[in-house]
Order: sequence, then structure tokens, then C-alpha cells
Amino acid sequence: MSLLHFFADPQWIIPNIIAPFIFTAVALVLFRNVSGSVALYAVLGGGMMGMWGNTLYGSGFALAFDRWNGTIEYVLATPSRLVWIIAGRSASNAVLGLVNALAILAVVMIGYGPLLAVADPILFLVALILTLASLSTLGVVLCSAFLLSRSASVMTNGLEFPIYVASGSMFPIALLPFWSHPLSLSLGPTWGIDAMRYAADSTYKGLGFGYWIDVSVVMISTIVYLAIGFWLFIVAEKKVRDDATLVEY
Amino acid sequence: MTGRPEKAITVSELRRTYQTSKGIFRKKKEIVEAVKGISFDVEFGELFGLVGPNGAGKTTTIKILTTLLTPTSGNARVLGFDIARDVVEIRRRIGIIFGGERGLYYRVSGRENLRYFADLYGVPLAKRDKRINELLDMVGLSERADSKVESYSRGMKQRLHIAKGLVNDPELIFMDEPTIGLDPQAARDTRAMIKQLVEKEKTILLTTHYMFEADELCHRIGVISNGEIAALDTPSGLKRFVKDISVIEVEAFGIVDSDIASLRQRPEVKSVSSNLEGERQTVRIQTPKGSEFIPQVTKILSGAKIFDIRTKEPTLEDAYLRLVS
Amino acid sequence: MALVLGDWPPFRIFWSSAKFAFKALFSWLRPEMWLMQLFTLPLFQMAFFVYLSRFVNPGAAGVAYISVGNALQVASFSSIFAVCNITSEEKWQGTLTPLITTPASRFPLFVGRAMFQILNSIATIVVGFVYASFVFGVDMSGTDFVALAVVILVTSLAMTGFGLMLGSVGLYLRTAMIIANIFLFIGLLVCGVNFPVTALPRWLQPLSYAIPMTYGTIAARAAIQGSTVAELGPLILQEIGAGAGSVVVGYLLFLGFEALARRRGAFEEF
Repeated sequence: MSLLHFFADPQWIIPNIIAPFIFTAVALVLFRNVSGSVALYAVLGGGMMGMWGNTLYGSGFALAFDRWNGTIEYVLATPSRLVWIIAGRSASNAVLGLVNALAILAVVMIGYGPLLAVADPILFLVALILTLASLSTLGVVLCSAFLLSRSASVMTNGLEFPIYVASGSMFPIALLPFWSHPLSLSLGPTWGIDAMRYAADSTYKGLGFGYWIDVSVVMISTIVYLAIGFWLFIVAEKKVRDDATLVEY
Repeated sequence: MTGRPEKAITVSELRRTYQTSKGIFRKKKEIVEAVKGISFDVEFGELFGLVGPNGAGKTTTIKILTTLLTPTSGNARVLGFDIARDVVEIRRRIGIIFGGERGLYYRVSGRENLRYFADLYGVPLAKRDKRINELLDMVGLSERADSKVESYSRGMKQRLHIAKGLVNDPELIFMDEPTIGLDPQAARDTRAMIKQLVEKEKTILLTTHYMFEADELCHRIGVISNGEIAALDTPSGLKRFVKDISVIEVEAFGIVDSDIASLRQRPEVKSVSSNLEGERQTVRIQTPKGSEFIPQVTKILSGAKIFDIRTKEPTLEDAYLRLVS
Repeated sequence: MALVLGDWPPFRIFWSSAKFAFKALFSWLRPEMWLMQLFTLPLFQMAFFVYLSRFVNPGAAGVAYISVGNALQVASFSSIFAVCNITSEEKWQGTLTPLITTPASRFPLFVGRAMFQILNSIATIVVGFVYASFVFGVDMSGTDFVALAVVILVTSLAMTGFGLMLGSVGLYLRTAMIIANIFLFIGLLVCGVNFPVTALPRWLQPLSYAIPMTYGTIAARAAIQGSTVAELGPLILQEIGAGAGSVVVGYLLFLGFEALARRRGAFEEF
């Protein structure tokens, strides 16, 4: 349903197709003197940023939009648990992000030639889908914070880049300060990206655990996020009902 | 511009067409004539009503007079100023009350809304806060003045709209459907406020589709139908349109559309208006025949259960229906 | 000063709009949230591009270049994104019509509304430079701080002017949000933020020179190397020119939009 809504109101999707394109373009210019697998980082990174951007904006803004429209009360009143509605939205947004990512890949292939020969397409696709799932569920977790705060859109801006940095979307997390590594490794998408790179480039070293461990961690993270998200929503829903802070915007 | 103009508003052959496009793929252009050459005047100190069905051209007319819309042809003068050329002068001197849920800043208080608009209108700083307090008093919002507008009820928002429309102490005020959507008490309070304004010698142009409201408030009424002025007179003058007829009012249950159609087909019937909602349906039949016609009415409505049937004196609403049908 | 100018209409409209925008914003935005955004946004955006550059081009020069560029660019959230959405937010709220029907001059009204974002831009850029120096190790020992301050001020003003122009365009096209998003990040690509404009394809470069920030990034780097205000004169003037030009275009567009809406009766549509 929310997919339809977004198609009807492209104002809310298009912004997030633009940003990843620009980031990828910037990265590609920065990478212009480098070839091979390093360019892989640029393109995959851009794609993944697109997926995250969509999840974030889609869920965050959907809620903010609901508030502004006054529909949030109706959404809360529906029998289906709010968390499934939001999960559905996050999923559809992540899918949009996927479309985004594929679009970026397509444009880059056309513009830069086949520098993106994927070594194992099936494994790549599997990793991609699992990363999407992990991103979606991470989005669900964040949504509960948005539910509680009027400043949803402010938080949305604030969470964009930290994830891009921490998940190593465009550069190895080894470059980051050592104390931030546990944080990075606790994010499902970090492993997902690593898995995608393994699948795309047979010479890739990455985190060093190999494709299958990466993929397993992603799956586990997805389940964990879903569980946390579900619990947080129950808490948030109750709190919001008790405090009547919902309609103020 | 020297001296006071003779009339508050003069409208001469005002015309306004809209171009709309239908369809998504093959846009078909349609020309709609919303206002077809209307002319009228409003005197100083008058409460002038513009009534008509939806889409008749009332809102278009008021938008033209409040400088929100330019006419396609014809002209108008508001307080002596030309609506095409002297836009800023007009805006400085008029008050606009369009009402509704939008048009107010929800995130700040009622008082802050008024303060901001007072600043935009250039209300002298020395007088500003005093005037705002007086206005808040007048509309009964003094106690909630410092709460955010988002917490106001519909009626309170409407009252704030009224205060906002008066913040620059205008001598001419335009109101578009001021009581629409209000509960009966709020509507009554609003009408009382409007009367107060007239007592203060303000000139008011008001649109409404509630006939009883126009009857109660207005000195003169212009009936707009289909973009043209069907009649312009005092309420009692307008009632003369229907002095030759009586109204048979029927209260029943089980009347269907074909019954109404049958009634309309009768040559003795000038017009029929019906409210078929709910369990108590009301049908008003205008006919010169008066109570003589009642037997025919009961015959046509034989399939329904009639609770009450009686003749009544025609009201302004009947005159209006006659004029717009 | 405010008391003296108080009754002079343009100033009053400007000041009133500025205060009003501030109140309206902070009626829902908690100060903590604003501060969080102020301090985290620059940090993570700069970190992203700095680490990216370390990956691609390990060397202090690259990091310094990128840090300074991004320290300026992060202000786009205020000067471009927030400002561009001012007019369409009014339209969306239904308050554009009441504003239009006042006799108030449009110029001070909208500049006043944008005032908070100008201050926000300046604050964001200053925070950005603090990070550049203390977190990303940019050597600012030779900096001409007066020159840098002027560059920061001019960039904030000029980019806000650019944002106002985008807001006018957005009114016409009813796509303020899309425009805001494009131009929010386009600076990263075309304004010499992460690499010189000369690295871009020729056909794209004219866009760079139409955006005030392009001059700002060059000037900021020079100021850090020690260039004085006098030496940076031409660049600063060019940036002022680009900003002022935007404001004029934006103002004319707005008046045009108003005239068009009056002819078509299109104020309420959004």
C-alpha cells in the first residue's frame, strides 16, 4: 500500500535516487585514477547507500508524513500491529533502494564499461537480498525512535552518514579508528557488503571471514533487529498512547 | 485619488474564465466561464451578501475583489482603488476572512499569529499589542491566546481567522462562508460578531449558502447563479419573487427520487426541494395553488408514509431556489 | 537599533519574519536535537569523504583538501535544503495565500524567514572547521582567520541566497523537495568540495561557477594557507556576485509566480 502511495507521490522517492547517484559520481571521480576492484567499492557503495537512504527516508518520512497528515492516529488504530505496517514500509523502501542500486549499476556500466564483472552472480544476488533484509529491519528498529520524536526528519538526516561510514560502504572499515571496529561489526549491513564484494571479486580479502560466515551473520542480524524492533514498537506504541504525544507536530 | 469614494465596492461587467485540462495522457483543454459579466455596488456601512449554489461564482468573485485573482475582463474598484493597478493599496485597507482549517500557523500560538500578521500589515507598534488583546477579547480567545493553534478546535480556529482578518482595523471586510463547518453555537456566536462589526460601521461583503443566515444578517443580497447575478435586492425585496406562491411542506418517510421527478413534472409546481436523508424526509413544493394542491401531492406520494403536510409562507430560501433553478 | 528601525516597514517585516521563523522552528524541534544535528552531521559527512580519500589517495594533502571542502558543504543542509523548502512549506500549510494578501514586501519577508538558516550555516561551517583541525588533522597554523571568517560569512549568505532562488523555482514547478535534494548534495560533485572543478567534464563546469560555494571552497583553502582578505578580494566578490545574482533571480521568479497564480487562480494547489 505504501508503495502505491509513493508511486503516487514521487516527491518522496526521487530525492533518494539522486543522493546515491551523486555520491557514486563523486566516488568515481575520486577513483578515476584507480582501476579494478577498488572501483567496485564505488559502485557497490553507491548502491548500498541508495538502499539505506531509501529505508531511512521512507520510514522516517512516512511517519513524519503521517503525523503531518494526521493519518498516524488511524494507522495506530488499525488492528494489524503497527510494527508490521512499518516493516512492510521498510521492506518496500528497501526494494526501492534495490531498484535504485540496480539503476546506479546500470548507469555506471554504460558510462564506464564493464568494470563490474561479477564473479558469481547468484551468490551476489543472495548477499544483496540478505543485506536488503538487514537494512530493512535496521530501519524498523529506528522507526520506533521516530515514533516517539517529533523531530523524525532531523534524526533521519543524522543517521544517514554514520551508517555509510560505519558499515564501510565505500571503503574498508580497517581504515576507521580501531575503537570503532566493534560498532561497525555489530551492524548487519557491514557483513552484507563484505559478502557482496566476495561474490563480485574472487581476489577480494575483506574482513577475512569469507562469504558464508558473512552471510550467516547478516541473517542473524536480521532476526535480532526484527526482535528488537518488535519489542521497541510495543514499548513505543504504549508510551505514545499513554502520553498522547502523537498528534502534535 | 481625492476624497472618499462614493461606494465601497463597484463591480462592472466582471468576467472570469478558467482553462482546465482533463485527463492524464491526452490533455483536453476546457474553458470554464466562472463569472459571466456581473455588475453590482456595495455601499459604505452595508452588509452585502453574495449567495448562490456551489460553483456559482461567489468564491471567484470574492477572490477577484481581494486581489487574489485577476479578472479576464471588466473591472472593479475597492474603496476607490482599481483592483488591477492598486493592489497594495487595497491589501492594506481590507480584511479577509476565508476561514477553514488552513491559513494559520499551527506551531505557534494564536497571539503570535496575530502579532506576525499585525507586523506584516504595518499596524503601528504602539497600538499593536493593545489591538490584539481587544480582538482576542472580542472573539473570545483571550484565555487560549497563548496556546498553539494546533490545539484549537475548529470553532476556535475560525475565531482566530476572524481576529486575523481584523488585525489591520480594515474598513471593508470580505468573508467567505464564515460559518461553514461550525457547530450551531459557534455559528451563532460568529453571526453575533458579524453584527457587532456592522454596528461599528464596517462594510462587509459576505458569501454564504445558508439562506437563513443571509436573511438574518444582510442589508442586501446578490443572488449568483451560473456566473451571473440572478437578482439583487433586500431580503424582503427578494421574497417578493415568491409572493405569488405558497409552499407545501411535507414530512414523510419512503419518498423516492421518482416521486420528486413526478412532482416536478406537474405544471402547477414551480420548484421542488427535498432533503431525503435519514428517517424524516422533508420536501418543499412551491406552487401558486397553495393548499388546493395538497390532494395531488398526497396522490403522487401515495407510496410514502406522510407524517405531516402543511402550507407555509415562502421564505428567502424559496425565493433563492426559484431564482437559481 | 531594533527600536530605531522598528517602524521602518522593510526592517520590521524582516525582523518579525526572522523571529517568527525561529519560534515556529523551535516549537517542534527540541534544542537538543538541533545541537545533535549541528555536531554530528558535519562530523560524519566529513569522515565519510576523508576516509574515502584516504582509501583512494593516502596522503595528507588529499585529506586537507577534502576536509576543508566538506566543512563548507555541510552548510547546504541549512542554506539550501531548509531554505528551499520555506516557500513550499507555506504553500503546503495554506499560509502562502494569507501572506500574499498582506501588503508586506516579499523581499524582506523571505529573507527574514531565511535568517535563522544563515546563522545555522555559519555555525555548521565553524563546527566543520573545528573538526577539520582537531579530528582530521588539517594544519591550520598558517591560517588568516579574518579572511576565513569573511569567507564563511559570505558563503553562508550567498548560499542562502541561492537557496531562496531554488525555493522560487520550486514554487513554479511544485517540486521544491526534489530540487532541494538535488542541490543539497550536488555541491559535493561540482563545487570543488572533494576535487577541483577541472576534474569534471567540460559541459558540467558552468554549473559549478553558477553556485556561490565553488568560489568559497577555493577561497577557504587559500585563507588556510594564509591569504589575506585583500588577496582573496576577487574570489569573494565573485561569490557575492553569484549570491546576489541568485537573490535577484529568485525575487523576480517569485513575483512572476505571484502574477501567474493570480491569473490562473493557483495559490492553493500544491
